[in-house]
Amino acid sequence: MTKRGLTTTRRRFLKGTAAAAATVTIVPAHVLGGPGKTPPSETFGGALIGCGGRGGGTFNDLKRRHKLNVRRLASCDVKFVGKADNKKVYTDFRRVLERKDIDIVAIATPPHWHALISIAAMAAGKDVLCEKPMTRFIAEGRAVADAARRYGRIFQIGTYGRFGMSRNDKNRMTRKIMTSGLLKPCEAAYVRRGGFKVKMWSGRVNVAPAPVPKNLDWDLYCGPSPLKPFHPPRHGGTHRWYWDYEGGGLGDMGQHHLDPLTWLFGKDGTAPVEVEASAPPAHPEVAGMWAWVKLRYADGFTFVLESGEWGQPGGTTSRGVKLEDLDEAGRQKLKAMPDPEPLVGFGEAVRTRKQPGGDAEAAHRTACIMHLANIAIRTGRKIRFDPVAEQIVGDPEANRLVNPPMRAPWHL
Amino acid sequence: MAEKPDVKALVETMPDLDSRKDKKGKVHTTGKLTGPKWPDAEKVYEAILDGGREAVAAVVDLLEPIDDGRDYKARYVLAGLAAFVCRDGREKHRAVYDEALASRLGGDRPKPVRAFLLRQLQTAGDKSAVAAAGKLLLDEDLCEPAAQALVAIDPKAAGEALRRALPRADGPRRLTIVQGLGVVADAASARALREALGDADREVRIAAGWSLARLGEDGSVEALMKAADAKDRWERIQAARACLLLAEKLRAAGKGTEAARLYKHLRDTRRDESERYLREAAERALAPST
Repeated sequence: MTKRGLTTTRRRFLKGTAAAAATVTIVPAHVLGGPGKTPPSETFGGALIGCGGRGGGTFNDLKRRHKLNVRRLASCDVKFVGKADNKKVYTDFRRVLERKDIDIVAIATPPHWHALISIAAMAAGKDVLCEKPMTRFIAEGRAVADAARRYGRIFQIGTYGRFGMSRNDKNRMTRKIMTSGLLKPCEAAYVRRGGFKVKMWSGRVNVAPAPVPKNLDWDLYCGPSPLKPFHPPRHGGTHRWYWDYEGGGLGDMGQHHLDPLTWLFGKDGTAPVEVEASAPPAHPEVAGMWAWVKLRYADGFTFVLESGEWGQPGGTTSRGVKLEDLDEAGRQKLKAMPDPEPLVGFGEAVRTRKQPGGDAEAAHRTACIMHLANIAIRTGRKIRFDPVAEQIVGDPEANRLVNPPMRAPWHL
Repeated sequence: MAEKPDVKALVETMPDLDSRKDKKGKVHTTGKLTGPKWPDAEKVYEAILDGGREAVAAVVDLLEPIDDGRDYKARYVLAGLAAFVCRDGREKHRAVYDEALASRLGGDRPKPVRAFLLRQLQTAGDKSAVAAAGKLLLDEDLCEPAAQALVAIDPKAAGEALRRALPRADGPRRLTIVQGLGVVADAASARALREALGDADREVRIAAGWSLARLGEDGSVEALMKAADAKDRWERIQAARACLLLAEKLRAAGKGTEAARLYKHLRDTRRDESERYLREAAERALAPST
């Protein structure tokens, strides 16, 4: 690439204007000198929003895992009251997203902020790497997927099991069979037992409120969720206890365990149509124990999630998918179909603008499983879901949990 | 005459908090609650509901002003009742539950308690709760939970209540109501929302733009295009978003020409390199489909 051939379609040379608020200038290679220098089209301005336990790791994934040459130009967290300078350190993510020198945003806030900040970032022209779980409720996921499409941005969920899953030939055959439409009926089932940290993330109900720490913007932390008195576990890792911010162990671990499986079984473009749970009545504020959740898809495929920590197992056995499940005609048709495409990593997606594996649509469909499971637990009723309209059918009260209203000024 | 249930005793049958033993055998509470099996809980719920509105209200009266765990059983029962009365065939019980909670929304009951009741009505409330919740839309602390309950319970009635309250609302309440009108896509609020595009509060302006987009009316095209020319960067981004959302709705409604006006406006006004992505989004939307 010659000096004159350099383009700066997204990676731009910054002017030090007052409005820019940037203190770092990204200098093109033709100024620094040619061979061995990273061309400016490969240099990215990055921001981390949510600097808690997962923050550093999420941002470092941009470089380590995704091989992007990205500089952290901004760090944002609601607990930076008193130290925010609105140049490198922020409490308000909106100020970060206004910056013209930020290209990529890594989001590691609690989940009740994931969708809103993802959408806002893409609306501001940024690509997004967002920690799991993608969302707190179903309508958020659809809004994120729509935003990625609307703005032509790249969204990747921060869990990568589907990549490893997709590199195995047997798994690729399973996916091929499941997405072919040839397997009728589908009697496959997958039982995932344990690993949901149910007890760990079931919440305490006897916590007294306390003064808000001086360094915490509590109003902004609550954001779209109800503004309630500050109970210390609502902030920090134990936010996972609360329906307001996450949804217990299903919220925390569901996306990790289920995302590779939605790829494997070809369910990353749809959602379950019937959901049933075994659990005690739910507490209004915090997640609790559950025994199992059964989620059946329209084609007959069933996921069963078993906590292994309470109650009895669901009574279902896993049943895989084999080529022999198809008749000879089906096998011949399958042979003529294309194999699953290799998944594109986030780094490649950012550079080439191809959609990554774990894009917003796929991540949303995985998260739907967890959210429907939690709705069945919270309502204590069997749920029927329309995966096209993305509404619960025949139960308007349960459907209120699909898209609960947000606290102003936050909205999807 | 049926005997009145001993509500306090019924609430007390809910499990104690989980506990564990330490190495010395001493029992400690974990503070966590593993609830009963549904059949056992249902017996309690039935007994309370069969006691009528007064019995449910008696559970409400067990709530402490502050949620610090002392009343966890009462809160747990009220939430369980909310889920229970939403089952098919429980319409009469649901009416009892809703009326009881609505009856406790007024007066000088502590606001955190009333906010909790509004959230249970957000789960299980029906039309009978609308009037009581609507009265709280101008309350500084209860406007938000009241609005959220209303839009969940009955979007049409919520629109009417929010519209009525808007002229008298200021500050955060005005913002909540402007946004709530968008949540329920209250067409009758279009003029008021277009006026709100000129509000002194940036967040109200942004909420008004979003709400107008939600209404999906071509009558708002001109106003949203003007709003999209905002100088403040965050507002400009959000206003552009409102334009795109409205354009999508118009296109889906077969009003492609009006949608195209919005896309063309963004294409023509987003000339800065930092806004190229918006120009490209508009150009993609304008490209003829093959």
